[in-house]
Amino acid sequence: MMQFFLTYQPVLDHGLLSLGFAFSQWVVLRAGVFSVASAGLAAIGGYSAALLHLDGGLPPFVTILLGAVLGGLFGVALAWPLARLRGVYQAIASLAFVQIVLSLNLYAEGITRGALGVDGIPKLVETPLLLLLSAGLIYLMHSVNTYRLGRTFETVRQDEAVANSLGISTIHFQTIAFAIGGVIAGLYGGLTAFHSYHLDPAQFGFEFLVAALSFVILGGRRSVVGPVIGTAVLVILPELSREFGEFRQLGYGVILMIVIVFMPQGIADTYLSWSRKKRLASQQEAQ
Amino acid sequence: MIFQQLLNGLVVGGVYSLFALGFALVFGIHHILNLAHGGVFMTGAFLGLYAVLQGLPLWLGFVVAALGGGLLSVLIEFMAFRPLKKSGETEFGAIISSIGANLIIISIAQKISQTEVMRFPFETFPVIIYRFWGLRVSFLQLFMALMALALMAVLLYFLYRTPIGRKIRAVAGNEHAAILLGVNPNHVFFTTFFLSGALAGVAGVLIGLAFNSIHFMMGEPFLLSAFVICILGGMGSIVGTMVGGLVFGMIHTLSVAYLSSGLTESIIYGLLFVMLILRPNGLFGKSAAGALRVQR
Repeated sequence: MMQFFLTYQPVLDHGLLSLGFAFSQWVVLRAGVFSVASAGLAAIGGYSAALLHLDGGLPPFVTILLGAVLGGLFGVALAWPLARLRGVYQAIASLAFVQIVLSLNLYAEGITRGALGVDGIPKLVETPLLLLLSAGLIYLMHSVNTYRLGRTFETVRQDEAVANSLGISTIHFQTIAFAIGGVIAGLYGGLTAFHSYHLDPAQFGFEFLVAALSFVILGGRRSVVGPVIGTAVLVILPELSREFGEFRQLGYGVILMIVIVFMPQGIADTYLSWSRKKRLASQQEAQ
Repeated sequence: MIFQQLLNGLVVGGVYSLFALGFALVFGIHHILNLAHGGVFMTGAFLGLYAVLQGLPLWLGFVVAALGGGLLSVLIEFMAFRPLKKSGETEFGAIISSIGANLIIISIAQKISQTEVMRFPFETFPVIIYRFWGLRVSFLQLFMALMALALMAVLLYFLYRTPIGRKIRAVAGNEHAAILLGVNPNHVFFTTFFLSGALAGVAGVLIGLAFNSIHFMMGEPFLLSAFVICILGGMGSIVGTMVGGLVFGMIHTLSVAYLSSGLTESIIYGLLFVMLILRPNGLFGKSAAGALRVQR
């Protein structure tokens, strides 16, 4: 058992970190914002956590928190301009934000060390802490989803006109979603920095964004189990197909296509709506 | 000097437009963000290269690239987009399934090319340089500009002056009404995706000739710039995309030439962001980017 755990510890850690980014993406989608800014916010959080510790001399866990706060602030700052756009346009504008963060990161060599990335970050984040945080995060997201905020998000997402007519301010609640998503992205960016010794500017680029988005859409965009399942599938399956080596990317692509074609709402949401339908049908039969 | 840079920008911008046109066509007509377009572009470059390496003349390479790109694009539509239509979740689903398709295409290309950066053999295209008014223009640049112009003209003619073009525009306006009027939507899907892929294929060969570097990841930066171009010109507007491509090419070359090349990306994406906030419908677009949206 111990041996098994030790062998797969890196995968587990990777999965737990990915889960954080998946939730950061999930919250904004939940509120009906098609933003993919998580990658940029994670970069801001990760870099500020690492640099404030290495160059600013602040204690690591303070800088991780500062990174989370910065991520949240940038998230809120993004919410206002993005509220003017809808759907695909939001996605493209937030993609532009990610690219701006990435290229400024490469340009500001004096501060961020440019293309070399940040080295020599102490490793302070271990599996137990990540497990604890993930459990907390899932609980928090579950409460958000179940109570008032989640219902408001659902209304805004399903039909904005109805939400507005009920006195719900779209921009207000989307700003809240951005703040939550930004804090999570910043926090997990910082955790990544203090977990992997090293930060690389390209790490938070287009691929990162695609991964975070696919975790959520593959798993399900409505339920809290969605991102958990999506992350688990996309982290574990490529690991199982490790023997096929160079065909891993191919396998990843095939999984994405097959799942989304057969379960367009995502694995968890399709299952949940299927089981609800079945329950209703059996109730009707009983009557 | 500045005129030389503007000219270079115009030529590169023309090819960027060709690539972005295929992307805009699919978005404008079917409201699908086809993220596998970069993969089709790369496949076109590969096909053109392999055709030339097999000893075929270059023009045949272009034909092979256009046909191959078109068919691949039709295949993507058939495998990745058509099954999603029934579910009504196209907006998110199409993004993920086209990312999946792109990954598949890229990893096959990586396997075939063994991760090498390839180039057309020297003098595939005659190296002739013209000079006039103190400007330097190569024959290749002229050819690229003319090719881009010609293909755009053909596309415009096709869309606005032929029966199938009218059907395509009908589906773009209102797919349901078009079907009621007897338009076969599958036929229209086939045509637009084929055109889009063919344009990408030709653009791939042109870029391969101009930059002399053909590799399995060459589509990614172009896909990202296609976003910028389409937003500049207005999503889905054909003329807008052409002008957007030219503007993009000029901004790109000018900022590389006169500012730091490290800042180019920041400038371009900053511009995109500002553009989206101030004029989300682009320079020529009509559709409402900020309209209230209802999801079923």
